[in-house]
Amino acid sequence: MKPRPEPSFTSSMRAPSQVMRLARLGSFHQCRLSFMRILTRRMAREAWSFTRPIFDIDAKGVGHAVYCAHTPDRTYSLVAFAHDLPAESRSDRVIAQAWDSTFALFDGVPTKEDIARLRRNVPLQEAGRVTETELSVSRANRSVRLWEHVIARLADGRQPDLHEILKVGYLMRTTAVYGSGKLGAADREAIAARPECSAPFQIEVLSVFLTRAYVRDLVQHMAKTRGGARAVPLAPEIARRMGIGNSTGLGMAPFLLNHPTLINNWIAARETAIARVRSVPLASADEVETFRDLLARTILSVDLWRSDHPIQIEKLTDLRVDLQRLSHHVEAADLNTEAPWNRLFMWAETELCLEAQECLASLMLEPYGDLVDSLADEMSDLNAAAFRIDGTMSVAQLREILHRNYGWAMDIDWAERENCARAWYVSEEKLEPRLGERFDEHIADYEQPLAPGRDAAALNDALKSWHVDAPIAAFLLAHPEHRHSVRRAQIVDHAPYAEIRDNTISADLLPIDMLRCKLAFFGATQFDPRSDRWVRICLFGNAPYPENLQESNCDDWPYPVLGETLQ
Amino acid sequence: MTHSLNEIEAQSRKAARGTGLSWGMAEEAAKATRWLESHQLPGVRLLAEVLTRNDGVAHADIAPQTLDAPWTARSGVLCPLASGAALNDCADRLATGHHIEMEDVTSPLLIVPFAAWAALHICSPVRVQWRDIRIETDGYRIWVNDPKAQVGLASKVALTCSRVSEMNENASLPELRGRVCPTGWDILGTFAHRTYAPDTPESRRLGAGAGVSDND
Repeated sequence: MKPRPEPSFTSSMRAPSQVMRLARLGSFHQCRLSFMRILTRRMAREAWSFTRPIFDIDAKGVGHAVYCAHTPDRTYSLVAFAHDLPAESRSDRVIAQAWDSTFALFDGVPTKEDIARLRRNVPLQEAGRVTETELSVSRANRSVRLWEHVIARLADGRQPDLHEILKVGYLMRTTAVYGSGKLGAADREAIAARPECSAPFQIEVLSVFLTRAYVRDLVQHMAKTRGGARAVPLAPEIARRMGIGNSTGLGMAPFLLNHPTLINNWIAARETAIARVRSVPLASADEVETFRDLLARTILSVDLWRSDHPIQIEKLTDLRVDLQRLSHHVEAADLNTEAPWNRLFMWAETELCLEAQECLASLMLEPYGDLVDSLADEMSDLNAAAFRIDGTMSVAQLREILHRNYGWAMDIDWAERENCARAWYVSEEKLEPRLGERFDEHIADYEQPLAPGRDAAALNDALKSWHVDAPIAAFLLAHPEHRHSVRRAQIVDHAPYAEIRDNTISADLLPIDMLRCKLAFFGATQFDPRSDRWVRICLFGNAPYPENLQESNCDDWPYPVLGETLQ
Repeated sequence: MTHSLNEIEAQSRKAARGTGLSWGMAEEAAKATRWLESHQLPGVRLLAEVLTRNDGVAHADIAPQTLDAPWTARSGVLCPLASGAALNDCADRLATGHHIEMEDVTSPLLIVPFAAWAALHICSPVRVQWRDIRIETDGYRIWVNDPKAQVGLASKVALTCSRVSEMNENASLPELRGRVCPTGWDILGTFAHRTYAPDTPESRRLGAGAGVSDND
């Protein structure tokens, strides 16, 4: 590889005050650093092999299957249980009690005894229990409409209607993928040192990747059962369009607030990547061509993006208009002279909506794998000691940190009802996070610590009566109620993207912004909010299947190929 | 049956909050419990005992009154969680060779995780000792000298924490699962339950995330 010319200027990273706003986080798009792409790159690079040692599913679609992913060092196995679920039991809610299929990702190759044990537990999900040999537990439901359409067509010897496929995007959607010790599974610490687990959520996305292969096989099996000799398999180009859906509700929103160091590392990696590309002095013809090609494919992808939610419809309208403007601008713009990406990005910051700005930010990274991809190794939270409070810090020092990072929160009148209208709590019924109306429901006593802005402002007020030289250790002896806020402030001081710089309990909060941010880092596309607090997405849509990972240039799979659409 | 360390931490955090600890204290109580269980020490049982004893008691009654030596509580009995958190906050004192002394602290083993984090911070092993018991940790490994098998007792003791130059070479490493005391686990579950808001038809309608049907 030729060494790159030294940049004549270095673009700095965008300020946390610009990036960490909910409206912007809620406009994030997948990029090279998304967890699914980190995984598919590794699988292709290391030439993982895949086997299906068991597919034992009967004519009613009941049974089990095992899908193995063989890395250079070890094997991971998806153990899938297929069920015959009555329609009245099919619920998108995380609190459902029965599913069309249930899964565990097993660390190694399961024995018959392991499978028997998992059969007693995995179909029960939360009501069951797994062990340290399991790395994740998940479940999925069919898209009833599309499932029946695809089986009927294949059974009849015909391919499904691509329009129908593209309208939904998936045959099954997961309603939860549990990892990191949930339900008794192995803790992340047990696998964190493995290279393939060094980036975040690699086990969970591997589980979804294998689930997608299972779903394709299951629908073909059911079609064959129904149609016999007349049945045909799914055409590979149609199968490729289908991802795995996911329904995500409020349970995921607090994650961003509960893992400040981790979120900082995700955002900082992407912001570092953006700054590096903005600092590129000259773009080669190939790099410009890659960008232009993927921009055109993005426009196509956004055309296929459907949502019935008023907020997303408006955002999509703006995005489509602005991507056309971007496209026209790029046609005319000079990308052959100094710092082309920085100039383009500065133009976008004044001319384009947030959705289009963030889309461009992700797109600009595409030609620059050599500058970007290694940042994947910096996205996990390895600093377990970060929760320690430095009690020697003085009151004056802490107040300075608060003013630097929470000034926005001190400008809010927290006594105003609309500024604290909401409260996050956990419901007794299903033990899931919910967002309630503080002044209409009896929930304030159960409030979760998910309003860091309000709490930082209260901490700042409490510090005012303390001597500037007093150590925080003494303050905390008298005020343990501020302990979590002191910890956050000290984390943010070292990890500037750790904190969302917006009100997370205001009357106009849109929790889907928090969901969108996290899901974009997973690599999700086709965000389709179903309310202000629930979103459906597609995972691995257009991605290679296990057997296609060695095909050339499989890394740009999130971008649909031009000329293949709706023919 | 074993538990994952994340399960132990999550249950402990909710339980601590359920008995009235601040969120920040609850977080540290939970990490302390996790740390002990990872060393196959009875974190869950001791946390259940401490939370039961101090259920609803004000922090100011059971925390060190000041950070001047030796530490004592207004009520006469120090809580190991409040004292441990203060110990970790003041870890730099250990680096300079100072001892931290506590009078009448209950369930003293719960102090050890906080001392362990202090050891990580000052990059030196520390020793925690009370009665005949001596424990050394560098934050990661632990060595326990407990000739009378009293390390898990809840009774109150005078305790000293200090820096040491070297760890005992027989120190043991943490494990990745916890074998928790079932009774203690159930007690934590009862306390944790207090953090859940009772459901009402209104909360079901307003608060939940998704729709009910998935038949589309």
